[in-house]
Amino acid sequence: MVRAIRGVLIECEPAIKSIIVHFDSVNNDIIIEDLDETHLVVKENMVHVLKQKLEERLKETYRPEEPLQDSE
Amino acid sequence: MPAPLRLSELDVWVRAEGKMQRDRALSILRSLHIIQITPPGKDKPQEMQLTTNFKNSLRLALEGGGKHSSFGVPSTLPVDARIDIAHLDGYARKKWEDILHYVVNSVPVHGEGLGGGSAGGPKTSVKDLLLAGRLVERRHDTRGGVGITQAGFTFLLQEANAQVWTLLLLWLEAADHSKTAEQAKGFSTEHKPDSIDMLSFLFMLASLELGRAYDTDALTETRRNMLPALVDFGLIYIPREDTRQYFPTRLATTLTSSASALRSVSSGFAAATTNTSNDAASLGLSSAAADPPPNNAPTTNKGSIIIETNYRLYAYTASPLQIAVLALFTQLNMRFAGMVTGRLTRDSIRRAIGFGITADQIIAYLAGHAHEQMVRAAAATGRPVLPPTVVDQIRLWQLENERMRTAAGFLFKDFDTPDEYAALSGYADEIGVLVWRNDRKKVFFASKFEQLRDYLKSRKKAE
Repeated sequence: MVRAIRGVLIECEPAIKSIIVHFDSVNNDIIIEDLDETHLVVKENMVHVLKQKLEERLKETYRPEEPLQDSE
Repeated sequence: MPAPLRLSELDVWVRAEGKMQRDRALSILRSLHIIQITPPGKDKPQEMQLTTNFKNSLRLALEGGGKHSSFGVPSTLPVDARIDIAHLDGYARKKWEDILHYVVNSVPVHGEGLGGGSAGGPKTSVKDLLLAGRLVERRHDTRGGVGITQAGFTFLLQEANAQVWTLLLLWLEAADHSKTAEQAKGFSTEHKPDSIDMLSFLFMLASLELGRAYDTDALTETRRNMLPALVDFGLIYIPREDTRQYFPTRLATTLTSSASALRSVSSGFAAATTNTSNDAASLGLSSAAADPPPNNAPTTNKGSIIIETNYRLYAYTASPLQIAVLALFTQLNMRFAGMVTGRLTRDSIRRAIGFGITADQIIAYLAGHAHEQMVRAAAATGRPVLPPTVVDQIRLWQLENERMRTAAGFLFKDFDTPDEYAALSGYADEIGVLVWRNDRKKVFFASKFEQLRDYLKSRKKAE
């Protein structure tokens, strides 16, 4: 029997996806369905939290150099 | 075109390769109710003719006759000599900048003190309109008690003509709302203009001649009731001592013209400002308020921004308005008389993108307001006006924020047969709700499910 499940489709790079999978592994409360390398369906109410978590996580690992420091 | 024209005759005018354009033109004219085409019949060839209304009005307009005064009635009263084009331009600019200032001043964080520009400000009615249109929203953390929204930012970065229209459309909507609301309460709404009449009044205004006085008494009462609002927007000017005359300003007369007229707005504004005062402030203001779109930036452009490849930005302006706009996406460091310096940083761009401004909007704004010197240097060496490294970096900074794309909807899975999957996903694609599909796993994601559910039911019944 076919089923329709409400959720939010997320499309992202594999690296980002693995971070999301990692978040989910704690409580299993985010992901509804793991579709493929770059696609996931997550719970609607978790999207906001997920975005915040991702932002924090990326801040830790990703520190782009500012092009030049001002001499002023 | 007094008599109907046979379509077969029209075909003679059209070359074979132009058929598509002809069909498109005909369908546009039909959807605008300008022409009618008789349905194809056996005994009679297809004919097209102007719709009766359009025919009559067009004839009336061409002859300048009728009592509709489709192009306004010039006032016969003597005109005050002080009201010349420069005066009108100055007036329109002041009104419009008040509105822009109000929006800009609602930015919660800005580096520079803006010198209490909110003191004058637009009329309450205009403020309410901006609120209703959600260009600003009520907030308590800002000085004016309102905060800017994403739509407001988009509004600020638009060209002047688009801004005027945005505001006018809000106004039309608001008028419609209040009318239906009053009708619902059982009030008489005869004195209230409806949006169609308002729109045609606006088009009439756009066809008027700048610098001429027109007769207020010749207008219908509903249209006279619209005048105060238009005065608030700066579209028309009514002398305080004599309300029997009204003067369209440049904002009004360029409403329906395209970019070329807009350029004359900006050059007109520039001319007006050089007439009255030569200080950098008003020059800066004119370029911020009414610059032509960047793609046809002419050499007369009063640009003021210089960007170096090291992301430093110098703007030769003292205009609070332009500085505030720059502060939306720049980290401003210093302010001198007639000049500010700053840098584009990852944080400043990300903040702007967080507000809802796009990288393309920022780039277009910078290109459109680039200093003459930059334009000249670029033209001499055949390079783009903005340093490519900066443009690319702004785009990259935007991409950084889009690490994942999300789409709400429904996941369809566990199909009984491959046929069922193929049929339903195919149908989803057809009605345009399919977001993603994986044929191997037989799952797909759709943005809506009601129609798909119905389709599935009818399919089940058929079996």
